[in-house]
Amino acid sequence: MINKTFTKDMRETWMYGILGFLVFLLVWQAACVFTNFGKIFPTPKVSLAAFLQAFVEPIGRHTLLGHISISLRRVLIGYTLSSITGIIIGLLMGYSKLAHAIIYPIFCIIRPIPGIAWIPLAILWIGIGEPTIHFIIFMGGFSQMVMNTMDGAQHVDTELVGVAKVLGAKENQIFRKIVLPSSIPYIFTGLQTSLSTSWMAVLAAEMITAREGAGWLIIAGMQTGRIENNVIGMIAIGLVGLILATLLRNAERRLCRWTVRSR
Amino acid sequence: MKEKTKYIIISIVSLISFILLWDLVSKSGIISAKKLPAPSKLFETFIYKLGNKNPDGNTLPIHIWTSLKEALIGFFFGIVIGVPLGISMAWFKKFDKFFSPLFDLIKPIPPVGWVPIMITFFGIGIMSKVSVIFIASFIPAVINSYSGIKQTREVHKWVSQTFGASNRQVLFTIAIPSAGPMIFTGARVALNGSWVSLVAAELIASTKGLGYMIQTARLVGRIDVVFVGVLVIGVFGAAMMEGLSFLERKLVKGGRRS
Amino acid sequence: MDSTKQVKKEKPIITMERISKTFQVEDGEVKVIDQIDLDIRENEFLVLFGAGQCGKTTLLKMLAGLETISGGSIKIDEKELKGFNPKVGMVYQTTALFPWLTVMGNVEFGPKARGIGKTERQKKAQYYIDLVGLTGFEKHFPSMLSGGMQQRVGIARAYCNDPEIILMDEPFGHLDAQTRYMMEEEVEKIWQEEKRTIIFVTNNIEEALYLADRIVILTECPARVLTEYKIDIPRPRSLVSEEFLSLREEISSLVDLREGGNDAE
Ligand SMILES: Nc1ncnc2c1ncn2[C@@H]1O[C@H](COP(=O)(O)OP(=O)(O)O)[C@@H](O)[C@H]1O
Ligand SMILES: [Mg+2]
Repeated sequence: MINKTFTKDMRETWMYGILGFLVFLLVWQAACVFTNFGKIFPTPKVSLAAFLQAFVEPIGRHTLLGHISISLRRVLIGYTLSSITGIIIGLLMGYSKLAHAIIYPIFCIIRPIPGIAWIPLAILWIGIGEPTIHFIIFMGGFSQMVMNTMDGAQHVDTELVGVAKVLGAKENQIFRKIVLPSSIPYIFTGLQTSLSTSWMAVLAAEMITAREGAGWLIIAGMQTGRIENNVIGMIAIGLVGLILATLLRNAERRLCRWTVRSR
Repeated sequence: MKEKTKYIIISIVSLISFILLWDLVSKSGIISAKKLPAPSKLFETFIYKLGNKNPDGNTLPIHIWTSLKEALIGFFFGIVIGVPLGISMAWFKKFDKFFSPLFDLIKPIPPVGWVPIMITFFGIGIMSKVSVIFIASFIPAVINSYSGIKQTREVHKWVSQTFGASNRQVLFTIAIPSAGPMIFTGARVALNGSWVSLVAAELIASTKGLGYMIQTARLVGRIDVVFVGVLVIGVFGAAMMEGLSFLERKLVKGGRRS
Repeated sequence: MDSTKQVKKEKPIITMERISKTFQVEDGEVKVIDQIDLDIRENEFLVLFGAGQCGKTTLLKMLAGLETISGGSIKIDEKELKGFNPKVGMVYQTTALFPWLTVMGNVEFGPKARGIGKTERQKKAQYYIDLVGLTGFEKHFPSMLSGGMQQRVGIARAYCNDPEIILMDEPFGHLDAQTRYMMEEEVEKIWQEEKRTIIFVTNNIEEALYLADRIVILTECPARVLTEYKIDIPRPRSLVSEEFLSLREEISSLVDLREGGNDAE
């Protein structure tokens, strides 16, 4: 009986999901056909065709996959750097009150500045090029990484620290074996939010300073009046964002097995 | 207690040394003032920009006002539409099944990605920016109110069964209040996202606002104005978040874990 | 089993002399422990019995080096106790297992921290895991275990670090009665096999009588020694023997005990 209601539920989920999607396509199509919307915006069919074509035919200098992989490469570099520095500084500030007292007030100046707002400064400092884009992505993820990691290191259960001390752990062992692992769930939260802001930062940076990449693709679509490129870019960006988030969630599930309650 | 004052003093000393070091590095020319203007110079520029329209056509207060207005309008509509939608999706199964897949499609697109399309539709102006910000705050508003309600769903069922409360009563007297903290988390993410997207939208295409100001200053090489703009963006971002936290403390009593 | 166990009259392993503890709080100070004198002999099973919130945990924490001593002195093996002492191990009221480590990881934590090689420490950890009856659960995380099993891990972890003295702070306070009886038998069995000095804190009179060589009864906050009982009932003890019941009656009337209640954390 449970099985029956379960499959019925599944069937309904699919039915409504598909229905929702169809309604969406229908509204899009109708808007293109019956209103002015169609003058500037491609129909679903045209968009899909353009999307598929973009895999083989280059837009600008690269095919769709080429642009995406360029953006991904940039994100990966900036994100890796910001994650590593962010985790180190976060742990330091969360664990040592002295480090917190020294670094935190200075950190507070840059913390509320969005990564994207660094774009003009970065261009003036470094010029136009890859390092500038990496820097912008770095600034986009850095603060969140620091804040989350610090939060984790500050919320270490003091009782567990005591337990470890009674068992004979030294100061550096407490750090590696208690503070670090108990911060990991927080670090993952940081990694997740920071990844999505990094992905956003690369788009903005590419829109402003690059000649290739997913961000360039959509802005070029606007500038050249080829809105279908814009739509293609958005679909691709959405898919990549989804894949990145899923990958990270799986990594978390693997690394934080202890938090998953089995029944 | 004594320890606390000790750390506060260390913090103050650290901050002052940082600013002095910055000043020294800039004034001694270790890093050219064209790359890193001294703090005192930034302060001068700030005062100057308060009343002067150079180099970007508007005074600083006007840029600030423009940016705040656009960010808050977009944020307001994102919350007002997003929260009820999230709650309905979590409460009514059919709503959930209808909207969730659609929502999952737009969710992973960063708000900045919408800028070109919105400009195509609405041109360069307040509408295009507000709609990007709307999306930036709408998405986290839906996600958080949705999971806020879902998380306590079992309890709600139990309450309605034991006390015979109607579905409607449970929704309004138990589910929504208990989802309050989560909804506010969503609002915080939304406000942050609004501010970030606003800056992005203004950098890419606009004629006014803080993002426009720093972009124009960059083009004419006024790094001091860029610096002032970036710092002002930070300060107002932080101030808005503080305002929201204040509101939350007023509205959700005892809901948030410290 | 070893029924002729005799408590030898030798030098005490722990000597507490007029120890006190005062906490600084916002509006002044609270005295939690007031001049306790207590000697504990080697391999003795000592039960500290007192109402909730009377300062039992605080006393154990002082012995473990987790709290400072406000007044008086504690000597272990005639040496003044200062901070952490490898001779002392502790089992916690809240189990306090490391949630990110497996059962094996938790049990081998102490030896590992002290730099003992992998094969040796794992062999030892395995011995204690087997001893507490958790064979086969080595790779489980604490969240996957029941409350009773978690506390077994806590006990194995304390023993595996080879302390001479094991402090147990209401280790079974959160367990249901059935599991609790089982665990009490288990602790007694382990104590018979692996002779150590145990200081066991409880506010359950039955548990105290079942386990103790000697019961020290503490007053309400601030804790002082009210009186003590030497328990000579042969082990294993029956919970319904006449001797047991009359002692239980006597001690209950002594302290204002609301049976079952008072289970404050
Ligand atoms: N760190 C502390 N600061 C202030 N008061 C404390 C602290 N730790 C314990 N106390 C107080 O000391 C008293 C005894 O606590 P505890 O030793 O935990 O009692 P028991 O274990 O007997 O229940 C309680 O009233 C408690 O509030
Ligand atoms: Mg206690």
